[in-house]
Amino acid sequence: MTTMRPKGNIQDKLVNKAVRNIRKGGNQEDPGKSMYQPGVKLDLQRSVLLTQAYRETEGQPMVLRRAKALDKILSSMDLYIQDHERIVGNNVSTPSGLYFGIDMAWRSVRRVVDQEEGKSLLDDAGRKTLDELIAYWDGKAMSDIQQKTFTGEILESWKFENSGAMSWSHWSELGIPDYEKVFKVGVKGLMDQARARLDEIDRTVPPDYVDQKEFLQAVLISMEATLKYAKRYGALALEKAAAATDPEDKARLESIARTCSRVPEHPPQTLQEALQSFFFLHVIRYIEYSTLGIGVRFDKVFGPYLEKDLKNGVLTRDQALELLQLLWVKFHELGLIYSPSLSAIYGGVASLQAITLGGVDENGEDVTNDMTYLVLECAETMRTPEPTIALRYHDGTPRELLSRATDVIKTGIGYPSFFNDKAILPLLKKWDAPLKDSRDYAISGCVYLEIPGKNIARRAYGGIVLPAALYYALNQGKSQFTGKIVGAKTPDPRTFQSADDLMDAYSAQVEFFAKRLCTLENTSQTLYEKYLPRPFYSALLEGCIEQGKESKKFTYPSAVVNLCIMIGPTNVGDSITAVKKVVFDDKKVSMDALLKAMDANWKGYEDIRQLMVNAPKYGNDDDYADAISAQVQTRTAQAMAKAKTRFGLPCRGDGSGLSATYAAGSIIPATPEGRYSGEPFADATLSPVFGMDQNGPTAVLKSASKTSTVDSYNHLMNQKFLPQALEGNMKEVFVDYIRSWGDLGISQIQFNVVDKQTLLAAQEKPEDYPDLLVRVAGYSAYFVDLSKGLQDSIIARTDQSF
Amino acid sequence: MPLQGTVFNIQRFSTHDGPGIRTTVFLKGCPLRCLWCANPESQVLAPQLMTRDIKCTGCGACVEACSRGAIVLSVDHGRIIHRDQCDLCFECVDACLYKALSVAGELKTPESVMETVKRDEVFYRNSGGGVTFSGGEPLVQHDFLYEVLAACRQEGFHTALDTTGHAPPRVLEKILPLADLALFDIKHLDPAQHKILTGVDNKLILENARLAANITRTWFRLPLMGGVNDSEEEISRVAAMAREWGVEKISLLPFHQGGEPKWAQVGLKSPGFVGHTPDDEHVERLAQIIRDNGIVAGIRS
Repeated sequence: MTTMRPKGNIQDKLVNKAVRNIRKGGNQEDPGKSMYQPGVKLDLQRSVLLTQAYRETEGQPMVLRRAKALDKILSSMDLYIQDHERIVGNNVSTPSGLYFGIDMAWRSVRRVVDQEEGKSLLDDAGRKTLDELIAYWDGKAMSDIQQKTFTGEILESWKFENSGAMSWSHWSELGIPDYEKVFKVGVKGLMDQARARLDEIDRTVPPDYVDQKEFLQAVLISMEATLKYAKRYGALALEKAAAATDPEDKARLESIARTCSRVPEHPPQTLQEALQSFFFLHVIRYIEYSTLGIGVRFDKVFGPYLEKDLKNGVLTRDQALELLQLLWVKFHELGLIYSPSLSAIYGGVASLQAITLGGVDENGEDVTNDMTYLVLECAETMRTPEPTIALRYHDGTPRELLSRATDVIKTGIGYPSFFNDKAILPLLKKWDAPLKDSRDYAISGCVYLEIPGKNIARRAYGGIVLPAALYYALNQGKSQFTGKIVGAKTPDPRTFQSADDLMDAYSAQVEFFAKRLCTLENTSQTLYEKYLPRPFYSALLEGCIEQGKESKKFTYPSAVVNLCIMIGPTNVGDSITAVKKVVFDDKKVSMDALLKAMDANWKGYEDIRQLMVNAPKYGNDDDYADAISAQVQTRTAQAMAKAKTRFGLPCRGDGSGLSATYAAGSIIPATPEGRYSGEPFADATLSPVFGMDQNGPTAVLKSASKTSTVDSYNHLMNQKFLPQALEGNMKEVFVDYIRSWGDLGISQIQFNVVDKQTLLAAQEKPEDYPDLLVRVAGYSAYFVDLSKGLQDSIIARTDQSF
Repeated sequence: MPLQGTVFNIQRFSTHDGPGIRTTVFLKGCPLRCLWCANPESQVLAPQLMTRDIKCTGCGACVEACSRGAIVLSVDHGRIIHRDQCDLCFECVDACLYKALSVAGELKTPESVMETVKRDEVFYRNSGGGVTFSGGEPLVQHDFLYEVLAACRQEGFHTALDTTGHAPPRVLEKILPLADLALFDIKHLDPAQHKILTGVDNKLILENARLAANITRTWFRLPLMGGVNDSEEEISRVAAMAREWGVEKISLLPFHQGGEPKWAQVGLKSPGFVGHTPDDEHVERLAQIIRDNGIVAGIRS
C-alpha cells in the first residue's frame, strides 16, 4: 500500500445523502427546505434496467424474473472508481445518486420530483424517463398491488390519520447476511452448494420440486451476476491503471483489480479483500431489494484479517485505518429516496446503517480485538452520521474499551451506543433463540436486534402510538376527528373503579391496534413472497439453499423476526400514574372533570393540569410511578403478543422510535400526565418524559431498571450529558456509570453529549454548524437537517450534569 | 419519639464531594455565618418556608390555606408572606399547585435517610463512591449523624464528612472514627479575618483539623475568594500544615456567586458579599504550590 493520506482529505470525500425531515405527521414543516443537499440526484439506472428485464421476462416464474433483473442491472449499470477509492461499488451509478425502488413504490417519488422540495433531484430529461418507467410500473409496483389487495376495514386502518394510533408502511428490510460463511467458502462455495441441492432434488423429487428448482436456479443466476459485477470492476480498475501516470495511483488501481479478481468469488485472504467482498455483497443486497442497515459484527468478522495482515506485514495499522475510513466514505454513498411523509419518521437518515462491536463469541468469551479499537478511531476521525456503532456490553468487556468508547462519545456524535448482553441474552432466550445463536446477536440499524445469517430480515413494518391507545381507552374507541369508533369499544371511563380498569382498557386498545397492524403486515408479507422474492439475499442466509426455499417461505423460529416500533410508553406510564394518584387515591379530581379538562386541552383547567403534572413521575426512582410504568411496558407486550405473524409467532415491540416520537405526538390530543395536545412524546421507550426526571442520572437508570426487558421487548434510552461530564477525572466516573448501567440490566443506553448553547447557536446559524451531529433515536443525524420542531425536542431533553 | 434529623437535601450523583459517585446528605444547622454562604437555607436548624416567586401565579390558594392570615395578595407583588406571623405549619406548601412554596428542611429518621442512600449502591460499588454528609454543619446534629454513619458502616458504604470543623472536640472524637474520610474546610488562617468572614474565630477549627487528621483520612477544602484568602503565602502555609499533619489532598474550590438568590427565598437579607473568582492561571499556580509540598491538589473536586 502507498503512504497515508491526510485524514482531512478523506473526510472531504463524504457525501451527505441524509433526508431532511420536512414533515411533522401529515403536515408540512419548514416550507422551502429541500429534502436533500444540493447536488444529490435521483439515480434511474436501476429502474431503467429493471424495467427492461421485467419486459423481457413476462410470464416467467417471479423468482427467476427477479434474478434475471439483478443480472441485467449488475451487467449493465455504469460503474465508477473515484481517485481516492480502494473499496469500490455502489447501489447506484454515480457517487451522488439516490437509490429508488420503483418496484416498491413510485407515487410519492413522482410527486416529490415535481415539487419545490425535490425538484433538483432530476432534470427534465430525467423526469421524462421517469414518466416512461411509471407507465410500465403503474399497477405493478408493490404499493399498487397492496392498494388493490387491501379492502374494507383493513384499507381504512392503513391510513394513519384515521386513528393516529398505528402506522404501517411498505418500506425497506434490514437483515444480516452470513458473511462469515461467505468468507469461508466464497460465492463459489455457495454456488456449489446450490448445485448440490439441485442434484439432490433431482434424485428425491420432493412435492415442491418445481418451486425449489426455480429458486435454486435463481440463486445461481444471482451469484453469477455477482461475480460478473466484481469482474467488471476489476476490468475497469485495470483499464484505469493502464492510463494512470502516477505510480502510486497505478498501484492503488492494480490492487483494486487484484482484489476484484479474487472476491467475492473466493475466500478473502487479506483485510482489503475481506472488506471488498463484504461491500460487494452489501451493495448488491441493496440493489436487489429496498434495504437498510448493516449489522455485521465488525470486529469479530474482520479482526482476524487485520491481525493476519499486521503479522504478515501486508498492512501497517495506519494503512488499515485508512482502509476503514475509505469504507466509511462508501457507506455514505448509500442514500435512498424517501417520501415526504416517511421523512417525518426517518428525519436525518440515509440508510440507517449500524455496525456492532464487542460482545461474546459462541462460547461466551469476549471478542474485543485490535479491530474494535481501530473502528473507534475511524469513527472518531470521520465523525459521520452512518454507520452508527452498537457496542455490546457484558461483564468481560475491558475497561479500556469503555474508556475509548467514552472518548468517541465525548465528540458528541451520539455513538457508540451500548447494548447489554445481560438483558438481551435472556430476552432472546425468552423468544426461543438458542444460546449459541443469541450470543451472536447484532444491531443492524437503529436498535434492531438480529442474528447474523439467520432468516430474520427484520422490517420496521409499523409503529403503535401507545398514548393514542390510551386516548382511545379514555374515549371508548371514538375518533377525535370523525366521532366514529376506530378503536376497541372499551367501557365508559366514568365507570372505572380504579387505575387498573384504565390499564385494562388501554391493553384492549393496544391489542386491537396490534392485530390490525399484523393483519396488514401479514397480508403484505404474502405479497412480498409472491411478487418480490430475493434469491440473492436468500443465498446468504442459513436454511434457504439447504431447503431450496426462498427466505419468505419460512421463518427463523423466534419472535425476534418481528419488529413493531413502540412510541410513548413512558407517557402512558406517567398518565396512568397521574390518574391513579389524583383521581383514585387522592380523589382530588373526578374522571369526568379530567376528561373535560383534556378535551379543552387544559384551557381553563390549569389547576387540574398542575395536579396531574405534580403526580409522581417515571425517571426519579420513585417506586409509585416506576411500578406503573413497568406494568405499562409488560401489559403492552402481552397485549401485542396476542397478534400473530403468518407463521404464528407473537408480535413483538422494539424500542426504536426513530423521529416518529416527535411526529406522532402532533395529532394526539392532551394526555393525563399533563401533556398538551400536539406535543411530542418522550424520545425513547425508556426515556423519562422531557424535563420530568429531577433526581439526576442515577435515579433515571434506577427507574429504567424496574422495567423487565425479558417481559417486554428491547428498549432504547437516551441520556443527554454536558461535554464537561466526560472530561478530566469525570471520564472515569462516566465509565463507572456505564458499568452500573450494565449491572442494573437495562438493555440499551446512548448519549447525546452537546451543550444547549451549541444547539441553540446551531439553530440560529445553521450555516456555521453543517457537521454538528446529534443522536436522534437509534441513529445520529446532522442537527441542521432536522426540522425546527424536532430540533426543539432534542434541546428539551433533560441535561444530566455532574 | 424516634430520633430524627433535619435534612434539607439529599443529592444523588454527587461527584465533587469525595471519590466516585456519591450521595450527599445535607443536614440543617450551622454555627458559622459565612458571608459567601451558598446554602443560606442551611444555617438555621429548624425547617423554613422557601419561596420561588418566579413560579407564583398569584392564584391565592396559599392565602386561603393560611390559618394565621400571614399571607396576603398584593396587586403588584403576587403574594406577600409575613414571616413574623408564620407558625411554620406549612399548610400553604401543600396548597400551592405551582411549587412556588416549599419547605427547606424535612424531619427524617435514620432509616428514611438510609432508604434513599441505599438506592445508589450499585453506583458506589462500581465507582468507589459512597455517602457524604454535608450541611450546614453536619456535626450540629451529631446524635443523628452518628446513627446514620453507623448504618452506612453496617451496609459497607464508604462515608465522608464535609465539615467546617467548628464543634466541640469530643463530638469529633465521637463521629470521625465512623467516617472514612473527612473533608475539612479551611477558610482563613488569620483569626481576625476569619471572624469577619465567618462570624467565628478559627482557633478551635485549626485544632480540630489536626485532631481530624489524627483520627481519619483527611482532605482539606479551601473555598477560594479572590483577594481574600487566595494568596500564595496563605496557600503555602495551609500546605505546610497539611504536610505536617498528614493530610492527603487539598481541594481548591474557586468562589462562585451562586447562592445569592436563595437569601430572599428563605426571607433573609443577603450580606451582600461581592466575591471575585480567582482566574484559572492563579488557581493552577496555587495547585502547584500544594503539589510541591507532596500533597495531591484538586481543583473543584
